[in-house]
Amino acid sequence: MVFNSYTFFAFFAVILALHHLPLSWKTKKVNLLLASYIFYAAWNPPFILLLWLSTVVDFYVGRALYTQENPYKKKLLLVISLIGNLGMLCFFKYGTFLLDNFVLLVNAMGMDYHPAKPNIILPAGISFYTFTTLCYTIDMYQKKSEPVKSMLDFSLFVTFFPHLVAGPIVRPPQLVPQFESPRMATTKQMMDGLFLLSLGLFMKVVLADGMLAKSADDVFGTNDLLPALDAWAGVLAFSGQIFFDFAGYSTCAVGVALCLGFVLPQNFNYPYAAIGFSDFWRRWHITLSAWLRDYLYIPLGGNRHGLRRTYFALMVTMLLGGLWHGANWTFVVWGGLHGLYLWVEKFIRDQREASAGGDLVARGNPWLGFFYAFLTFMLVNITWVFFRSGTFEKAWQLLQSMFGMTPEPKALLTSLALLKIAVVIPAMVIAHWLMRNTKVLDVAHKLSWWMVGVIWSAMILLLIWTQESGSSFIYFQF
Amino acid sequence: MSENNLAKPAILMAIIVSIVVITWEFTLRNKGNKIAYDDGPPLWANKRAMVYEPSDKTVVFIGSSRIKYDLDIPTWESITGCHAVQLAIEGSSPRPILEDLANDPNFKGRLIVDITEGLFFSTRSGNRPKENIEYFHGQTPAQKAGFWLNGLLESQLLLLDVENLSLNAQLEALEIPSRNGVFMAPVFPSDFQQNTYERQMYMTDRFLADTNLQYRVKGIWAFFAAGRKGAPPMPAEELTAIIESVKVATDKIKARGGEVLFVRTPSSNTMLAGENMAFPRETHWERLLAATNCQGIHFADYPALDHFVCPELSHLSQQDAIVFTRHLAQILAREKGWKFPSTSF
Repeated sequence: MVFNSYTFFAFFAVILALHHLPLSWKTKKVNLLLASYIFYAAWNPPFILLLWLSTVVDFYVGRALYTQENPYKKKLLLVISLIGNLGMLCFFKYGTFLLDNFVLLVNAMGMDYHPAKPNIILPAGISFYTFTTLCYTIDMYQKKSEPVKSMLDFSLFVTFFPHLVAGPIVRPPQLVPQFESPRMATTKQMMDGLFLLSLGLFMKVVLADGMLAKSADDVFGTNDLLPALDAWAGVLAFSGQIFFDFAGYSTCAVGVALCLGFVLPQNFNYPYAAIGFSDFWRRWHITLSAWLRDYLYIPLGGNRHGLRRTYFALMVTMLLGGLWHGANWTFVVWGGLHGLYLWVEKFIRDQREASAGGDLVARGNPWLGFFYAFLTFMLVNITWVFFRSGTFEKAWQLLQSMFGMTPEPKALLTSLALLKIAVVIPAMVIAHWLMRNTKVLDVAHKLSWWMVGVIWSAMILLLIWTQESGSSFIYFQF
Repeated sequence: MSENNLAKPAILMAIIVSIVVITWEFTLRNKGNKIAYDDGPPLWANKRAMVYEPSDKTVVFIGSSRIKYDLDIPTWESITGCHAVQLAIEGSSPRPILEDLANDPNFKGRLIVDITEGLFFSTRSGNRPKENIEYFHGQTPAQKAGFWLNGLLESQLLLLDVENLSLNAQLEALEIPSRNGVFMAPVFPSDFQQNTYERQMYMTDRFLADTNLQYRVKGIWAFFAAGRKGAPPMPAEELTAIIESVKVATDKIKARGGEVLFVRTPSSNTMLAGENMAFPRETHWERLLAATNCQGIHFADYPALDHFVCPELSHLSQQDAIVFTRHLAQILAREKGWKFPSTSF
């Protein structure tokens, strides 16, 4: 089920009604759990078995990890859990990719091996819920937090429908305590939640799907060489599309949870106003960045073992972060480019022995800050070429077009398509810059009530007018 | 604003949205607009699921836009007592759908294939058949429920008309001139393309009364014809391969007890002349029937079907569609041996 569908509205209305009935807290939690399973099964019912398996295994293994004193048995339990979780992820998400690469390798070595193509369907949200359960297992191993006492609370933590399919990736201490005592949204929470849900849908339906998706699809889908204008427009359209799509989903998720009285972590913080790449990753898909930092970068040594180890940990984290997004080498290169950017940034920073980025703004030089933010944004756009292109040939072809290296380019985008991009993308970048140190709800609470009412009305009317519903979110495929 | 909550803005939003939506809806009703349905993959998939109904009570139609205009479904169903499942997709070749039905072992019914030569014998079938077929085979329970809820709303609200009234449709209708060399798909007038829940298309009375609108559509046909002008004729082996692939598909359906019949629906004037020149009957229509060993109904062979004048050269008005449908059913029953639950011609 997707947030931008009539099905979800009917579903959510029923859930809200049930949640406000005078029932016991345990019954309400059971309702929420059943609702979450229905939400998930609405895609592909059999995959719910995987979710159950993952939940049950991690609940019991997590508890055993916490109580086990024998270090060997403890390690064995951890390995079993990691193999279970990552094995499932590897099979469903990377099975075909691994087989393709193995075939390429053995054929390059002279063996004539051509197995049948496996037909593996990717269960929705497997990358997200695997990371959710993995962090619980690792936390239990490291005794970072207490094991969840009830199976019901743990199941709800893993399955809670607002975050289940595309995040935000939650940690046990962020959500489990919220299930322990009765929660009902206050009027303020309900209104804030509905506002965020409206905003998220506006971002997804009007801006991502209505204004930008077609231009991005056209440019990344064509086999022709393009003029620089079309190529850049297509890449900018995609950078806007993926932001509005994914941040739209996260905003909906936070809003929906808030309407039920639960608080989910923020996942985006105006990333296109980032000054530098470490700042970008503190603003883009924040919960994944934090996960990778805590469960990959730091265990790899982080910045505690010298410069070389830091650079190594940084690059490995970004490469694996890239691979997490999709089973294709283009995603690895996308991650690698970000790793490279982070290397360069760290090198410059170390050379100056002072932090760049935020200081520029703090020193009262906002124009220079905006220039660096814009430079960051443009460099991020280069990485999106690899992220969105299905092949390296396509990525290279598009890069050639972007930098005017095409002999006979063929214009593709209509004036209307260019106009949409020319309106939406600068508005997005400026809005990110103006909002970079604040939060949308804070701004909404500070504006006059009638102004918020008018803006809210405009968003809803544009949603109705756009009449796009039911299209999937980009991050569902990850 | 005070730091408490967004209740007041929410109330204001509800009032503004209600006023605008109600005003919008009443304006459309006063203009004489009719309920229209989004002819996207969900509606197509809904009809595609009906092909398994008992074959003596159902006929499946595939093709391009002509059969969607020319077959009046209420007329067909009232005189034959047989359910018409409309799977044709405008601007595309029906061959991918024919193959999909042929490869579906559960489809054993009766199939009528509308032939618009320029599309049927094209190697570019368009994306829509593929998208619709994929959507049908991968449809989730949530999408099925969403379709049902969407249908409820669409059946009540005129403003829900994605093809004509959505933001993007209205922006496209502005026809902002594009850059040199950029292909801009022509925009059909909304009065030309109204779609019912049964997937029948029709022209509005406004369209039939307004020759300017008719000329606009004729201009669009001329635009497409100009695009094909000077293109080399299809290589003989390509045409042979197409006909062979159709034969394979029809053989599969017939082998399961199904029935396939081809129909050439009417076109007029310069459109007809151009089609006859580009796709001579002997080399295309006759050859197709001979190769597949299927029955066919060519409008030019039947005086009852040969007198229609298409307002924009290619499709029948709804009034003519009623007459065409009646005659088509008669020919099927009397000359082609098709049996229907009722025959109130």
